[in-house]
Formats: sequence, C-alpha cells, structure tokens
Amino acid sequence: MGKATVIPFGPQHPVLPEPLHLDLVVEDETVIEAVPQIGFIHRGLEKLVETRDYNQFIYVAERICGICAFGHSMGYAETVERLMGVEIPERAEYLRVIWHELSRVHSHVLWMGLAADAFGYESLFMHCWRLRERVLDIFEKTTGGRVIFSVVKVGGVVRDIDDAMFAEIKRVLEGIKDDYRQLCNAFLKDSSVKNRTVGVGYISHEDALAMSMVGPFARASNVNNDARCLGNGGYGKLADFQPVMDAQGDCYARVKVRALEVLQSIDIIEEMIAKIPAGDIAVDVKGAPAAGAEEANVVEQPRGECYYYARGNGSKYLERMRMRTPTSQNLAGMATALAGCDLADVNMIVLTIDPCISCTER
Amino acid sequence: MTLETTFVPLTVEGLPALAAAKKADGWRFVQILAVNTEEGIDLIYSFMKGNLLENCEIKAVQKDAVVPSITDQFLEAFVFENETHDLFGVNIQGIAIDFGGNFYALAQKEPMTIISPEQKAAREKARKVAEAKAAKEKATKAAAANAAYEAGHPTPKEPGEPIVPTGDDDAELKLAGADPEKVARARAAIAAKAKKAAEAEKDAALKEKLAGMDPEKAAKVRAAMEAKAAREAAAAQKEGE
Repeated sequence: MGKATVIPFGPQHPVLPEPLHLDLVVEDETVIEAVPQIGFIHRGLEKLVETRDYNQFIYVAERICGICAFGHSMGYAETVERLMGVEIPERAEYLRVIWHELSRVHSHVLWMGLAADAFGYESLFMHCWRLRERVLDIFEKTTGGRVIFSVVKVGGVVRDIDDAMFAEIKRVLEGIKDDYRQLCNAFLKDSSVKNRTVGVGYISHEDALAMSMVGPFARASNVNNDARCLGNGGYGKLADFQPVMDAQGDCYARVKVRALEVLQSIDIIEEMIAKIPAGDIAVDVKGAPAAGAEEANVVEQPRGECYYYARGNGSKYLERMRMRTPTSQNLAGMATALAGCDLADVNMIVLTIDPCISCTER
Repeated sequence: MTLETTFVPLTVEGLPALAAAKKADGWRFVQILAVNTEEGIDLIYSFMKGNLLENCEIKAVQKDAVVPSITDQFLEAFVFENETHDLFGVNIQGIAIDFGGNFYALAQKEPMTIISPEQKAAREKARKVAEAKAAKEKATKAAAANAAYEAGHPTPKEPGEPIVPTGDDDAELKLAGADPEKVARARAAIAAKAKKAAEAEKDAALKEKLAGMDPEKAAKVRAAMEAKAAREAAAAQKEGE
C-alpha cells in the first residue's frame, strides 16, 4: 500500500468542458476519495430577476446554459405561468415539446462526442458532432438561432412551425436515425469502448436512491425518475411514455441510456408532429404575480430533473427566481462513483454524469 | 400522473426531525433555496415522492440563528448548504463537506442579501399599491354602509312641511348595483321627468302672472308667445329634415 497523495484535478483539464475542481486522494493508482468543488464561474443570474421583469427574464434564463437553453426558458415560463394562473394554447405546448426534445437529441449527441473524445476515439467524436449539426440546422430554420432560440415567452411561444417545415423536420430526423444507429453500434458494441466503460464507476440502485440522483445518471442505476412522466404541458398528450432505464449502474449503462434516449426523443417529436392541433401559439399575459405568491415546478432537462421556484412581490419584477440544476444534485453521486476507481478512469466517470457547471453556478 | 406542489411551514427546531422522517419514509431530497426578505432569510427545503413535491418553508431566519445541516440524512445537500451559506450568509452548522465560506469565488460577501435600488423601488411600489387598494376598498365599504344607513333613515323635514316621497333616493340606491345600460336608461327617464315637472311649474307661474295683468296686454303677450312657439316648431322641423 502506497502513501496517500492528493491530486488536484481541474478546473482546467482537457477532458472538462467546464471548470470543475476535484481533490483526488489517491493511493498508488487508486482513488480513495474525491471532493468536488465548484464556484469558479458564478455569475449571479438569479439576482438579475430584480432588474428584469418577468418577460425580460426569459432571455436571462436561456443564457444560463448553452446546451439546455431551451429547457431553461421553458421551465422558467411554465413556472411563471403556473404562478399567474395562465393557460397556454395547446399548439404552444406541442411546439415546446418538439423543441425541447430536439434539444435533448443535440445535447446527448454532443455528450456522446465528448465521451468518445475522452476515451480517445477521435473519429467517433467527429461523427457525433457532424450529426448534431443537422439538429442545429433544424433549430436555425425554425427559430433563427442555433444555440439561443428566444422562442418561448410567458403565455406561449413567439414562432410557429408550418406543415412544410414539419415535413422537413421528419425527413431530417429519419436521416439522422439511420446514421445514428451506426454510431450506437460503435458505442454499444465496440470492444475498445466497452473496455473503457463496462464495470467502471459503478453506482448501485440503493446508492442512487439514497443520494437522490437524477437524470440518465440515476436511470442507469435502475431508478425510475423522469419528470416527463408527470405530464407537464405537452408531455401529458403522449400516448405512452416509459423512461429508458438500465440496471447495470456503470459508465456503459449511462452511455446506453443516453444513446437510447436519443431514439426515444425522435419518436416523441414524430408523435407530436402527427398530433399537433391547429390554433393560436400564445395568449396575452397581463398583470403581475401577486405579492407573496409562490410556485415550484420540475422539468426534465437533457441532464436530468431541474427544479424551478418563483415568488412574486406584486410588481412585474419577481421577488425570487431559483433554478436547481441536475448537476448540483448529482455531485454527491459522482464523488461516490469516483471512490475506489482507477485514476485513469476519473475523466470517464466525471463525463458520464454530464456535468454542466454553468447551470450549477448560474 | 400530474405534479402536485405543496408549501408547508417548518421551524428551525423541527428541521432535523423532518429530514429524518422524510428519509425514513422514502422521500427524495430535491433542493434548498433561500429568499432574502425584510424580516430575515426564508429557507425552503424541497422533497419529492412520486408526483408530490413538498416545499417546507422556514420563515425569517435571523443572521445570528444557527441552522442544523441535513447532510447526515441527505449527503447531496452539502452543495446547497454551502451555497446558502456563501450567498446568503446563513449559519449552517455540521455540513458533511464544509467549504467554510470558500465554495463560491465571490467578489463580495453574501451578495444575495444586498437589496438593490430596483428591488427596493419594486417593494415600495408594491407596498403603495397594496395600501392604495386597501384604502379604496375601505372607502367603498364606508360609502356603501353610509348609503344603507341613509336609506333606512330619511332626512328629517322642516316642521309642518309635508313629506312627499320622490322615490329618487330609492332609485339611486337601486341603481348602484344594476346593469350599466339599465342605469343609463333609468337616469335618462329620471332627467326627463324632472324636466317635465320644471316646465309644468313654469307654465303655472306664467298663467298666474298673466291673470293679474291688463287683459289687452295679456292678449299681446299670449300672441307673442304663440308666435315664438310656432317659430321654434318650424325651426325644429327644418332641422329634422
């Protein structure tokens, strides 16, 4: 047994897309303990709610994170609508689900590219990101933006999608499906990928429950936790929704859950396009949230469940807006998964929680 | 299955027992948040089970108050407890992974407790609006009570003067709660009735005056009045065409 040494990992590290620091206590090549630390990019976005009215804050909410931009604007708008008792048109609910699921596809494919890069499979990384570009093209055609869309408003959405564009989306998604299945084969069947992921960073079902883990990280440990099951907005119109789960609890299971969720999201988008009703896309929202009125809500972001809280003060400015993002909920689970792993596997385990520090610190 | 959100009150003393009960009952920890208010810091602990999202709210925690950590039950809460300490200055004791105020790299201490001029202005405005609304409601209630009292107690008349019910006061009371269109029609009818009564009174006074005049002069006055009436009628007819 060697002497215990503390190795600082991050915040600047080739494998980390965002600044996360880990103090890794190692003995020889084995990690004994990992202590995560964040706090390098706190921007105080929640404080901005005092100087932006509830309509303007949409633009702040979607800038919390570049990947979950749509999810944050949708989650914020839903919470304020619940706070003010606003019912949005059904067509707007469907459109929100379509854009949100497209965000999930691009987020998961982006993550798969990063994972491939982490275990040294550069060409797979490039194929993933090439595929993702086609989803971003859909965003550009339907919203005008590739990262920040600004299509959600309190009371509905600001842009509609016509039938010709829906046909185009279906055609692109069918094309993506074929190419994506080939990528999935590489991720799920390639022996070099399996060598880096199978049995690595194991979290038992009991530990996942005990640490209140969320998102694909929890579902890979067979935890039935998906906020889409609650049927908020357009998700309530889905004929049948069953979360993708796996009981294996390791990095391979987490790759598998995300890989299959992309196909599930494409199915949801196709179902929504087939069912979308005609009608208005927004209602006029007047007045302000009552003083002291408060509301909480959860939305399933690509990385997991996100909690939103809003409190009014009688004016157009909210008293408090709070977003609890999935990464902050999964940090304890990540530290548990790292304990006992090989030092060379740290980057893979950190990536499989799909950490988003921008979201976490806001 | 739809999301059911509840807000329930909680005390600092009851927090450890609540966390233990939630853990034993299979609830999932969701988050801790703080709200800076004029009375102190409100802390909200959220737990979830199935579709139930329960938010337990501790009101107005003071600066010097010690809040126990719940990381003995829910380790994942260490992120939120450190965050609440760094951003709001809440003194949380016994955090399993305590960063001692260095969790966030901040330019200033407890930034979320600073009340910005905009927030102060918004609070002032909300307070004034609430006060104005309360005053208006109070005035409306007082006016209604006054009107009801007056309706039940007619104004005393001069001794000897006969009490002739006009019905107008009653009508005004009735109109207060009626349909606006009906009110407009009723008001027009009342005005027409009043005009007619005034004209009849004027005619009676004129007749009395003429009766006391020289008959020749009175005949001239009558002829002049008839001619004037004929001219007015002709002008009215012309206008109508």
